Amino acid sequence: MKDKIKDFLDSDLLEKYLLDDTTSAEAFQVERYIAMYPEVRETYEELQENLEVYAKLHALAPPEGLKETILKRIKSQRHNSGRKRFIKYAIAASFTAFLFAGASYFFWNQNQSLQEENVMVNNKIKSLEEDMREQLMDVRNQFIVLNNPQTKRITVKGNKKAKELKAVTYVNPVKKLSYINVSKLPNLPKDQCYQMWAEVNGEMVNLGIIKEAGSQEKLLALPYSKNAMGYITIEPVGGNSTPTVQNIVANIPY
Amino acid sequence: MSTLLEKHIVELLKERNEKAISLLYENYSDTLYGVAYKVVRNEELAQDVLQESFIKIWKKSDSYDASKAKLFTWLFRITRNTAIDKLRSVNTKSDKEIQMDVSDVYNLGVEGIRPEFMDVQENLEKIESKYQIVLEALFFQGMTQQEASDELDIPLGTIKSRLKIGLRELRKIYGPTMILALLLNLM
Repeated sequence: MKDKIKDFLDSDLLEKYLLDDTTSAEAFQVERYIAMYPEVRETYEELQENLEVYAKLHALAPPEGLKETILKRIKSQRHNSGRKRFIKYAIAASFTAFLFAGASYFFWNQNQSLQEENVMVNNKIKSLEEDMREQLMDVRNQFIVLNNPQTKRITVKGNKKAKELKAVTYVNPVKKLSYINVSKLPNLPKDQCYQMWAEVNGEMVNLGIIKEAGSQEKLLALPYSKNAMGYITIEPVGGNSTPTVQNIVANIPY
Repeated sequence: MSTLLEKHIVELLKERNEKAISLLYENYSDTLYGVAYKVVRNEELAQDVLQESFIKIWKKSDSYDASKAKLFTWLFRITRNTAIDKLRSVNTKSDKEIQMDVSDVYNLGVEGIRPEFMDVQENLEKIESKYQIVLEALFFQGMTQQEASDELDIPLGTIKSRLKIGLRELRKIYGPTMILALLLNLM
């Protein structure tokens, strides 16, 4: 221990530290020694006193006016540094504001598009739900109609213009539901199509184009009415708004 | 151990009160100017150094740690480093060599010496010049001990021991007088 202190004091670390010539690692070591060993601390104090004494021996009066120059410089520097600090803060503040504005705009934009998307998704879900409900209802009704003993089954055949046409309607007057299954359709020229109609309470209702003689299972709902009449006509491609009476290929009483 | 005046100055420095600089100048400018002059050996440069040092002292005032160094030690370090930097920036690399001349030790103008140190100044001559040269080289010329050893052609071990003895001698001879003078000066 003693040797350690002696070695330390014999090295020139303390003198170097006194003059601020140490590296930061050395300074750290010296400060540790000073804090730990009173002997080192005393020597350091002594060195400091010596340095002051020695330096004072060489004191020299600086020229007059130097003090004023220095004080003036410090005052102006203080002023300047204040202004510089203000400018620094101003730059920092405007930069922050700019950044904030940018970020705000970005988030606002994102929020906006998310909201739009949200509305779109909601609408989609709603329409899907409706579709599903409709289909479910349809399937349920089909089931009811097909399984109900009160359901009448009517086979429809085409007239001269479409002899091969074959369809089956299912009518249930209790549940007030009607379905049709068009199982066979003769081919038509490309510029023509079959369209289905229903006369309900004296009004002609467009039931749409029959694209193909669908599969056996495909049932099409008919608007129910007592003693209603359905028609299948040949119309130009794309369908017609009113049926062309001379082109009726099948009458479907139901 | 610091005097009341030192404490007062340190407080003012922490408060960033410009009065601190005024007080520092009144009490330390002679010594610090002497240090600067010893290093740069040119009055104009020494004045620049003193100015720059005071500016640095002002700027760094919140970095002063009384537990690590006496106020003077801190002032001395700043001034010496500023002076050494000045010297380096002025000297071209070719004549970087620092003239070591014993007569420099006594190179002070008479009017530059403060009266309260007159007797001390006379006594300075009593320190053997071999110690003085080492003290000068290290304290003022900004040499490391190794550089002083090379420059003065003295083995490193001798430099170390001379530095120690020189400092001790200094204390032995001037200690009591000096402390009295310092006290009077600071009152």
